[in-house]
Amino acid sequence: MSGKIIPKIGLFVSDPGGRLSRAIDLETIVQKFSKTKNISGCEILKNFPSGNGLGSIVEGVRAGRFNRFLWIGRFPPEEIKRIESELSAAGINRYLHEWCDLEEQGIGGDGPPLDVQTQKAIILIQMALARTRLLEALEPLKLPGVASVLLIGAGTAGLHTAGSLLDLGKKVYLIEKESGVGGKVASLRRLYPRICDPHCGLELAIQKLEKSDRVELHTLSAVTHIQGGPGNFEVKIEKRPRYVKEGKCNACGECARVCPVTLKDEALPLLRDSFRLPMERGVGYSSPQKAIHPADPMAYPPAFVIDRQFCPPDCRECAKICPTQAVELEQNPAEAVIKVGAVLLTTGWDPYPLSKVEEFGYGLYPGVVSNTEMERIADDPPDLQEVGFIQCAGSRDERHLNYCSSVCCSITLKQVLRLKEKLPGVRCHVFYQDMRTPGFDEELYQQAKSLDQVIFVRGTPSTVKPGEDGKLKIRVEDTFSGTELNLQLDLLVLAGGMIPSEGSRQMAQLSRLPVNGYGFFESHLPCHPEESQRTGIRTGGSCRGPMNIAQSIESSHRAAMDLLPFLNEVIWVEPNYPVLNLTKCDKCKRCMEECPYSSFYFDANGFPALDLGKCRQCGICMGVCPLQAISLRHLTIQQFAAQIRALKPSFIPKEEPVILAFLCQNDAYPAAKSAAEAGFAIPPNVFFLKVPCAGAVNNALVADALAFGLDGILIAGCQDGQCHFIKGNQLVKIRSDDLAEKLQKMVIEPQRVRFENLEIRDSRRYVHLVHSYLEELRRLGPNPFRN
Amino acid sequence: MPPRVDREKCDGCRAEKEPLCEQICPGDLLTLGEDKRAFCRAARDCWDCMSCVKICPKGALETRVPYQLGYHVARLIPMMGTNTITWTLIDLNGKVERFHYINRGSLD
Repeated sequence: MSGKIIPKIGLFVSDPGGRLSRAIDLETIVQKFSKTKNISGCEILKNFPSGNGLGSIVEGVRAGRFNRFLWIGRFPPEEIKRIESELSAAGINRYLHEWCDLEEQGIGGDGPPLDVQTQKAIILIQMALARTRLLEALEPLKLPGVASVLLIGAGTAGLHTAGSLLDLGKKVYLIEKESGVGGKVASLRRLYPRICDPHCGLELAIQKLEKSDRVELHTLSAVTHIQGGPGNFEVKIEKRPRYVKEGKCNACGECARVCPVTLKDEALPLLRDSFRLPMERGVGYSSPQKAIHPADPMAYPPAFVIDRQFCPPDCRECAKICPTQAVELEQNPAEAVIKVGAVLLTTGWDPYPLSKVEEFGYGLYPGVVSNTEMERIADDPPDLQEVGFIQCAGSRDERHLNYCSSVCCSITLKQVLRLKEKLPGVRCHVFYQDMRTPGFDEELYQQAKSLDQVIFVRGTPSTVKPGEDGKLKIRVEDTFSGTELNLQLDLLVLAGGMIPSEGSRQMAQLSRLPVNGYGFFESHLPCHPEESQRTGIRTGGSCRGPMNIAQSIESSHRAAMDLLPFLNEVIWVEPNYPVLNLTKCDKCKRCMEECPYSSFYFDANGFPALDLGKCRQCGICMGVCPLQAISLRHLTIQQFAAQIRALKPSFIPKEEPVILAFLCQNDAYPAAKSAAEAGFAIPPNVFFLKVPCAGAVNNALVADALAFGLDGILIAGCQDGQCHFIKGNQLVKIRSDDLAEKLQKMVIEPQRVRFENLEIRDSRRYVHLVHSYLEELRRLGPNPFRN
Repeated sequence: MPPRVDREKCDGCRAEKEPLCEQICPGDLLTLGEDKRAFCRAARDCWDCMSCVKICPKGALETRVPYQLGYHVARLIPMMGTNTITWTLIDLNGKVERFHYINRGSLD
C-alpha cells in the first residue's frame, strides 16, 4: 500500500486523430472519472502530450495536484520514455505511471455498438485505476559487484575467452585440471580446414595471458565448492601439488636430463612399435618424456611438473641439479578461495571410450586406433599401405551415442588429406553411413574425393579380425553395389564421438546445472543458447554439445557477453523483484522449490531469503505461495486482486458469460495484442491481465475472480519447452488442475478454469479460443456466484 | 470429525519437516506419516476449525460436517482468494448454498 500518501491521480486520455472517440463515448468517460475518488485531473489530449501538452501537467505536479498518472490510449515506447523522463525531472517516479491501452483489449474499429464499448472501456479504466492507486515509487537497486570472472577449463574456448575478457579490463581467474593449458585441442596436430597447427592459435591466446597482470592461472586444480550469487561467488578450489615452484622454474630442462625415469606413452599401449613416433621409441633427436617434464598439453605455465607416482624412492636428482632451487619434492595439496562476480564453464569434452564398441576391436588388436590417436600418426606416419577409417564408430547408434558429433567426418577427411600428403602411395578406405560435412567443410570432401586411392565405401564393417603379419582382416558390404569387400588393412581408425568431459559432469553436480539426456549442459535453445538456470553461471564451448573449434570459441564468447553485466563494481537490478512478507510466511519452502533459478536461500531464522542478483523476476514464487506472502514489487498480488475486484461487468446480461484471461507477457499477450491490431472481433466480455509468466498466477487470484462472479478464467502460457522461465507454464497447469478439482467438489463446473498454450503469433487461435470458450460457458450457464 | 486426507493429492508439502497443515493446526493434530502424507494423529481432538482445509495448497484435505449439523453426505467446502473466502455448503439432499465474504482488513 502507498502508506499515508493519498493518491492524486492525473488521468489523461490520448486520442490523436480521434480514433478512440469514434469507438467510445470519451466525453461521458471523462465526466464520469473526473468525479471519481482520488482523481484530481481528467482530460483528453488530442496530440501526444510531450508534443505540447506536458507543460500544464508538469505545472500540476509542481503545484502538488498530481502524484501519479494513469495514461489511457496507445503510446509508442519512445513517447513513454519521454513522458517518464520529463515527469521524473518534476519529481514523479517512473514507476508511478500506469499505461492502459484500450485498443489491445479489443476496443475500437467497427466492433460492438458504442455504448457497449464505452462500458467495457469504463471497466478497463476502473481496473487500471485500482492498480494506479496502489502503485509505489521504486528505484533500481544497486548491488555491489566485483570486476572479476572465473573460467573453469583452460582449453581453447577458455583461453580465447579469457583473452577477450582481459582486453575488456576484467580480472580473470583460470582453472585447469591438467598441468598446462590448451585442453583437447592442444593435443591435436592439425586443424581443418587449413590443415594448420592448433598450437599457433593457442599461442596467441597464451601471449595475452603472459602479458597481462590481471590474470591468475591455477593449473592442476579442481573446483570443490561454489556458493553465492552474481557479484559475490565464492569458489573453493583444490590444487594438486606440482612439486616445482611456478615462480622459480625457468624451464631450463636440466632436471629432465638427469631424471632416471622415462615414461612410456600411456595413450597408445597397444600400438605396434613401428607405429610409434621416433620420439616415443627413444630414437632420433627428440628426447623421451621423463618423470619431470614440461607442462602438458601446452608448456604454459612454463614451470615443469613431476609425475610423482613414477619417481623411484628417495631419488632427488632433479632437486639436486636445479640451478634455481625450484624443485620442491615435499609439496602438499593446497586449497584456495576465489571471489568472483561470475563463473563461466568451459569444461569441454572427452572422446567416447571406443572399447565399448566391441565389434571393432579397439583395445584388443594392435592397429586399431581412435581418431584422436590418429592425429599424431597422420602427422608423422610410419610406412603404411592400406588404412581404413570407420565413421560413426559408436555414434548415431542407440547402443552408444544416439547423436551425431558433427565434426568426425571432417576430422577423418582432414586426416586422409594429411596422410596422403605424407604418404602419397597409401590407400585409404572410408567406411561411412552418411558423410556429413556442413557448410564449407564440403570442400574437404571434394578435395579428398578427387585424390587417387581414396575410396569411400558406404557401409560399416561387420567383422574386424586380426590377420597375417599383424594386419587386420575386414569384411564390409558396399551397400551401393551390394558387393562384399574383404580387405587387409595396416591400420584401422575409428571415428569416435564426443561426450561431456568428466569435469563437465562434476561441475553439473556441483553447480546443480541441468543437463540434457546425453550429459551436456542444457539451455534455452535457440533464443538463449548459452542460457543456464543459474544466474551468473554460464556454459560455453563443447560442454554444451559437440561442436568444432570455431563454434566453441563463439559459444564461449557469447556466454561471456551474458556475464558482462555482473562484472562491474555495481550490478543494477530492476526494482520488480519479489519481496517476502515474513509475518505471513510459514516456511513451507514452495517458493524455494519452484524457483527455476534457485534464487532463494535460508536466512538465519530459516525463512526463505532472495538473492536479488540471481532472481530473474518471473514471479513464479508469487504464483506458488499458498499464503500470498510474496509479491513482485511492481506487480504486487494486491494490485492484481484490486484489478480483479474492479472488474464488475454489470453491463453484460447475466446470460452472457464473462472471461478474465491471465496472459503471459512473452507469448500469449503479444498474440492477443496483435489479434486486436489485426482487427479480429474480440468479444466485449473478454478482459485480460498481463502477467510476467503464466507461473506467476496465484490460485487465490483465480479463486477471487470466480468468487466475484466471473464465469471463466483463462490462463495462457507458452508452449511446453518454450517457457522463458523454464517451466512456469507447467507449474500453473498443475495448479489450475488442482483448483478445477476443488471446483468440482464445490459443484462448480471445473471447465471454468482453463489453461492453454499459446505461441507468440497465435492471434487467430487466441480469437478462436476466446469464442469457443464463450460458447462453452454459455452452455454451462452463469457462475453460481454471479449476481 | 477429523479431516480426511486425499492421499493421491497430498504431497506432504514435498516431505518438508512440517507441512502447512501441521503448522496451522491449532491443536497440533496433523503430522506426516511414514509415507510422507499428512494424517490426523488424534481424531477425537479435532474440533473442525477447518484451518487445515483452508491452507492446503493442493486441496487434499476435507472435513465432514459434524453429525449434529448434517449427515455424512453434507459437505462444507471453503475456497480462499487473496482476501476473500467462499463457502459452498451441500446438504443431505444435495441442495447447494454458497456464501461469499470479503475479509476485513487489507492483504498485508
